[in-house]
Amino acid sequence: MADSTNRPARPQRLVGAWWGPAVGLSALGFYASATVPGDAPTREIFFNVPDGAWAVYAFLAALVGLLIFGFVRHASLWSIGQPTPGALKEIPSRLKNTVRLGMAQDKVRRDRYAGIMHWCIFSSIVVLTLVTAQVAIEADFPVSFLHGDYYLFFSFYGDLFGVIGLIGVGMALYRRYFAQMHRIRWDERLEDHLIIVGLGLVLLSGFFVEAARIMVTEMNQHPDWARWSFGGFTVAKGIGVFGFEDHQMLAFHAYSWWFHVAMAFGWLALIVFTRLDHMFFAPINAFLLRTDSPGRLTKIENIEEQEVFGVGFIQDFTWKQLFELDACVRCGRCTEVCPANIAGQPLSPMHLIQDLKAHLADVGPAIAQHRHEFSDPGREVSSVALIGDVIKDETLWACRTCGACVQECPVMIEHVPTIVDMRRYLVMSEARIPATAQAALENLEMRGHPWRGTALERTTWMEGLEEVPMFDGSQEYLYWVGCSGSLVERNLPVTKAVFRLVKESGASFGVLGQEETCNGDPARRLGNEYLYQILAQQLVETFKSKNVQKVITNCPHCFNTFKNEYPQFDGNFEVIHHTEFLAGAMQSGKLTAKHPVAANVTYHDSCYLGRINGVYDAPRQILEMVPGTNLTEMQRNLSKGLCCGAGGGNMWQEEVGERRVNHVRSEEAVRTGADQVISNCPFCIQMFEDGVPAVHPEEEGRMRPFDVAELLEKSVFGETAVAGERSS
Amino acid sequence: MHIVVCAKQIPDPETPPSAFKIDAATNKVIPAAGISPVLSQFDGIAAEAALRLKEAKGGKVTVISLGAESAQAAIKQVLAMGADEGVLLKDAAFDDGDSYTTARTLAEAIKKLGDVDAVFCGRQAADWDMGQVGLLIAEELGWPAAIIAKGVEATDTGLKIQRVLADGFETVEAPLPAVVTVSNEFGEPRYPKLPQIMAAAKKTVTAWGAGDLGLDPGSVGKAGARLQLQKLFIPEKSGRVELIEGDTPQEQASNLIKKLQADKLI
Repeated sequence: MADSTNRPARPQRLVGAWWGPAVGLSALGFYASATVPGDAPTREIFFNVPDGAWAVYAFLAALVGLLIFGFVRHASLWSIGQPTPGALKEIPSRLKNTVRLGMAQDKVRRDRYAGIMHWCIFSSIVVLTLVTAQVAIEADFPVSFLHGDYYLFFSFYGDLFGVIGLIGVGMALYRRYFAQMHRIRWDERLEDHLIIVGLGLVLLSGFFVEAARIMVTEMNQHPDWARWSFGGFTVAKGIGVFGFEDHQMLAFHAYSWWFHVAMAFGWLALIVFTRLDHMFFAPINAFLLRTDSPGRLTKIENIEEQEVFGVGFIQDFTWKQLFELDACVRCGRCTEVCPANIAGQPLSPMHLIQDLKAHLADVGPAIAQHRHEFSDPGREVSSVALIGDVIKDETLWACRTCGACVQECPVMIEHVPTIVDMRRYLVMSEARIPATAQAALENLEMRGHPWRGTALERTTWMEGLEEVPMFDGSQEYLYWVGCSGSLVERNLPVTKAVFRLVKESGASFGVLGQEETCNGDPARRLGNEYLYQILAQQLVETFKSKNVQKVITNCPHCFNTFKNEYPQFDGNFEVIHHTEFLAGAMQSGKLTAKHPVAANVTYHDSCYLGRINGVYDAPRQILEMVPGTNLTEMQRNLSKGLCCGAGGGNMWQEEVGERRVNHVRSEEAVRTGADQVISNCPFCIQMFEDGVPAVHPEEEGRMRPFDVAELLEKSVFGETAVAGERSS
Repeated sequence: MHIVVCAKQIPDPETPPSAFKIDAATNKVIPAAGISPVLSQFDGIAAEAALRLKEAKGGKVTVISLGAESAQAAIKQVLAMGADEGVLLKDAAFDDGDSYTTARTLAEAIKKLGDVDAVFCGRQAADWDMGQVGLLIAEELGWPAAIIAKGVEATDTGLKIQRVLADGFETVEAPLPAVVTVSNEFGEPRYPKLPQIMAAAKKTVTAWGAGDLGLDPGSVGKAGARLQLQKLFIPEKSGRVELIEGDTPQEQASNLIKKLQADKLI
């Protein structure tokens, strides 16, 4: 997703750089091995456990075998998927993602508590694995470095990260069993308890082993060494109260050593059977993450020659999409931010991914076995249909394609393309569509716009304005009004405002008027890729024939489609949203917000301008520059903003579920106490027009929705000038 | 069972009022710029009824349209829904006809197809709303007709049709061959599946002129029409506001009632 999470941007790199010190410390050790004298501090490896060495290597061999077994088993399931175009291209940015998202875990930290907890556990496991590896090298390789100052330091940071790990485990236990936090319990399984309790026992038993060893060795001979192992030392002091004999402690040491080693390997074996596998799959999935814009859906190449449209069977997904299913850790972050889920509608991205994963495990092995027999349309191997049984139709239709789930997913799962792929199957192969969405698609096909029953023409908004220049290729900008901007009554004042402001700025521009047709975005999001491609190709041709170079769009959806998706059709234009243009014009002094507009406003980030394309600042800059206007942010804002409910073709659907998304969002806007909710998108404005009265029935003092441009128009031209314009 | 669906392409009923223009001199509708003609919605429903019958009983569906070359689009739309063949009746001689000449021309085409068991039409074309053509086809062919159907099913001997009446429904049976006109109560037409859209795009539509149907050009189109259009005009809309006097809402209400009674509106 587009960057910029919370403003002001804070440098966060240091937190992620856990491995810097760890690797540095280890390097220091190797350096120290060459320099320290012979009788320096050290300890006996496999002290008191003469059979320990073979046991450890036997466990290790079993673990490696298990890991290979698990990987092969998974890989055979991924392999039933389709090719993933470009998965191995752009390696540098993929490696960057692997480090930034997979190792530094930028997304995990979007939840502060979870971020700290996860860092504690993660860094502890990594450092303690390095610690163990150093012990193995010391024992079985012809080098020796665990002595002298480095040994003491080694003891110190080993214990430090043991304690850090326990802090993480404590935070996890608290969160799972005591905190009022539900998302991690939405799909809770036995393994979740095993993982966290198991890790706690591994770490604790480690301290007990160390303490027992210290008590019978260093405590008497070199207490100054022992202090460096501060964790074990403290435990040793505690046990010391009971006054056990040395031989008792030796026996205790042996038992706890075996317990610790068995627990540690047992816990690592969980990687094969539980979601702990994310420690490998998450960084790999970060590597596989798309390198292009999240606003772009995949193009079905040569669509007229295809026999399969979208995904109707599990093996129609790409192998990357199947791989992702295994990366899911059931953390519930996606579902927690999903607008459909928040409104009690039948979509939970986490459950969708888990249901697909279970279905893959169910039918995948048979498909893998008979791969070549299932290449024709009668490909079912299961009486359970992927779409309809495993994933319900209404689940797919509830998606707003707002990208909140993708934004939050700490293991970089891309839910939206997966959902749209299944919609494609529903629409193109099965023709199974909610009636109102079907009407919108038919309208696109028949009339080139989705607004069934509109009484307006594409030129209606021009009435009452001074001459509107038509674009003829000689102007710098094409002002793209869009279907909503011209055919929906409420959006006409926005179109006029943008027009007047762009004109006032002195820019050279024109409009297409009757020659505008829908760019296809609703068709693509609703799953009719075929219709989308027809509309897109047509419009790319129109743009090229008119020599369009730069486009100002009214609507963030047009903006996203032109900017991110038209390059798939060889349409490369410089596209800006009207808020970007207007903010730029104000900064360069071409527009001046001179009249004060006394308003308390809140600002709603539309998904396709904000989260998906990263334009958060331009609209806010405009609001800041309008004198008298005071902005109060909603609790969910910027990249965590909540969809208005209209995205993904839901503008044209009946909502199924407890509440409507726009009512939820309207409530959040009303709660700020602002008297205007300002947005940048014709759909958002319509959703608020409907939603605000529903949650605030009294007309008195009711909040009103406006576009940024409407507010700015009042400030640039004066309120009376605007009102006069309207009534004419 | 071989069912023929008669489909008409009409000016888009959703043309914005401001874009709807007529030429008073020729009494014709001026096609609105940039607004494509569409399949009459009732004919889409008739096609849906025919296709459901085909799915239940087997057979084939042929779609026939009388119109200009652009009516190919309407035919392709019904083919994409699942019809098997398409026929376009296109001839300058057919232009500017009335319900009678349209029905006559369609009936000749149906005769020429030969083995037709049933003809399904929309209850009326959504442009002129005459509702004549279905009945007149039945008359021309000498077949029974059941109009304004909300349900059609095949029986062993013919068709069982549920008809919409002003005050309810009635169920009638008709032997085959028969003509049925289908109403919007039947349900929505299906959304075409993409493979069928592709297949429809590849199908060739048979084109027949007056000669192919053995029709004398003087008996069809404008020459054969029995109905004469006197005047085509857009009614002028005007509004007038009268405020009802009264000091209290009760008084206003009673004044309103008096006024409505005086105007004989209640």
